[in-house]
Amino acid sequence: FCCSLAGSAWVCGLLSWARPERWLASGSLFPLSCIHTSTSLQKSGKWEKKNRIVYPPQLPGEPRRPAEIYHCRREIKYSKDKMWYLAKLIKGMSIDQALAQLEFSDKKGAKVIKEVLLEAQEMAVKNHNVEFKSNLHIAESLTGRGRYMKRIRYHGKGMFGVMKIVRCHYFVKLVEGPPPPPEPPRTGFDQAKEYVQQLRSRTLVHTL
Amino acid sequence: VLLVLHSPLSPFRRLLQRCWARLERGLLPSFPGGQSPPWGPALAVEAPAFLPEPESNTREGNEAPSLLDSILWMAAPKKRRTIEVNRCRRRNPNKLIKVKRNIDVCPECGNLKQKHVLCGYCYAKVKAETRLIRVEIQKKEGGPFNAPTVETVVLYEGEKPTEKDEGKRIIERARKRPSWFVQN
Repeated sequence: FCCSLAGSAWVCGLLSWARPERWLASGSLFPLSCIHTSTSLQKSGKWEKKNRIVYPPQLPGEPRRPAEIYHCRREIKYSKDKMWYLAKLIKGMSIDQALAQLEFSDKKGAKVIKEVLLEAQEMAVKNHNVEFKSNLHIAESLTGRGRYMKRIRYHGKGMFGVMKIVRCHYFVKLVEGPPPPPEPPRTGFDQAKEYVQQLRSRTLVHTL
Repeated sequence: VLLVLHSPLSPFRRLLQRCWARLERGLLPSFPGGQSPPWGPALAVEAPAFLPEPESNTREGNEAPSLLDSILWMAAPKKRRTIEVNRCRRRNPNKLIKVKRNIDVCPECGNLKQKHVLCGYCYAKVKAETRLIRVEIQKKEGGPFNAPTVETVVLYEGEKPTEKDEGKRIIERARKRPSWFVQN
C-alpha cells in the first residue's frame, strides 16, 4: 500500500524517530529527565553573570583597564543563522557605526540588535562608569540557539511534516575605547615567511 | 492524527522491488503454462518473424503512473554535505551583509539618513502635520465628494489671507507656523 501513496511527499512524511515524549514541554510530565531547566522566571545565564565580576584595585603604575559591558537578549523569535549575519556585520565596529548600519538594514533581527545595543549603551553610562557613550566599540557579538518548539505542518494528501519554531539568543560585549584597527589580510608572502621560519626552527630530536 | 510508523528503509526497498518486478515483466515476457509465446513461426520460411520487441515499444508505456517511476530519475543528493562545506557556502563574502557607505546626517534634525532617501524623522513630522490639516479639511467639507474646485491655502495663527489668496479656500490651523512650512 506504500506505492499507492503520493510520489515524493511521503519521503518527508515518514518520521519514526519523532517520539511523542520529545514534544511535551520540558519539566511538565517528566521531571527526572529535565534536571537542568530552572523553574525561576529569569534563568541566570553565564553571560549575565559576566557583568558581576569585580577586579582588585589597580596598582598606580598599571595602564587603565578598559570597561567591559556584557549584555544579551534571550528567546528572540528569529533564526540563529540569519541573526549571525548581522552579528558578523557589526563585529569590531564602533557603536555609532553599528547603530547606523542596523538602522538601515532591512532584516528583522536588525531592529532587535539595535534595541540591545542602545540598552547596553545606557547600562554602560549609568552603571559601568563609562564617560562618553560614543567611546564604545563592539568587541564580541554572538548568537546562540534558543528553545525550539516542534509543531505539525500539514501537507496535502494527509501527509504531515514536523516544523521547528526557531528562537535565538543574542550576546554582545562592549568595550570602552576606539575600535581596534582592522588587521591586514594575510598575504602569500606572510604565509611563505612563516613556513620558512617553521623550517628554520626545527631541531634534532633524540640525538646527541 | 494518524502516525504512520515505519522504519525509513523497508518501504523504499519494497517499492523498488515492486517497480523492478514490473519493469522485468515488461521487458522479458515469460509465459509459464499453456499460453503460446509470441515468437515467430517455427517453419523455416522466409517471412519476417514477429519479434516481441516492436510490440513492447508500441504498447503504451508502463501501466504505473509516471510519478512512481520518476522517483528513480529525480535529482537527489548523493552524499551528505559536511559542515565544512556548508560553512564555506554560508560564510562566503557574497552572502555576508555588505557595509553601507551611503549614510549621512540630516542637516535639519541631526538624525541619520540615507543619501538618496528623505530623512525618516523629518518625513514623520511632515506626515503628522499633513494628517491634522486633512482632519481640518474633513471638518470643513463634512462628507465625501465635497471638494471645491479652487485651491486651498493653510493659514496658521496670526496670519491674514493676502491678495494672492483671493478666490482660494482657507484652512485654519490653531498653532504656530512650523519652520519648515514656508508661507507663499
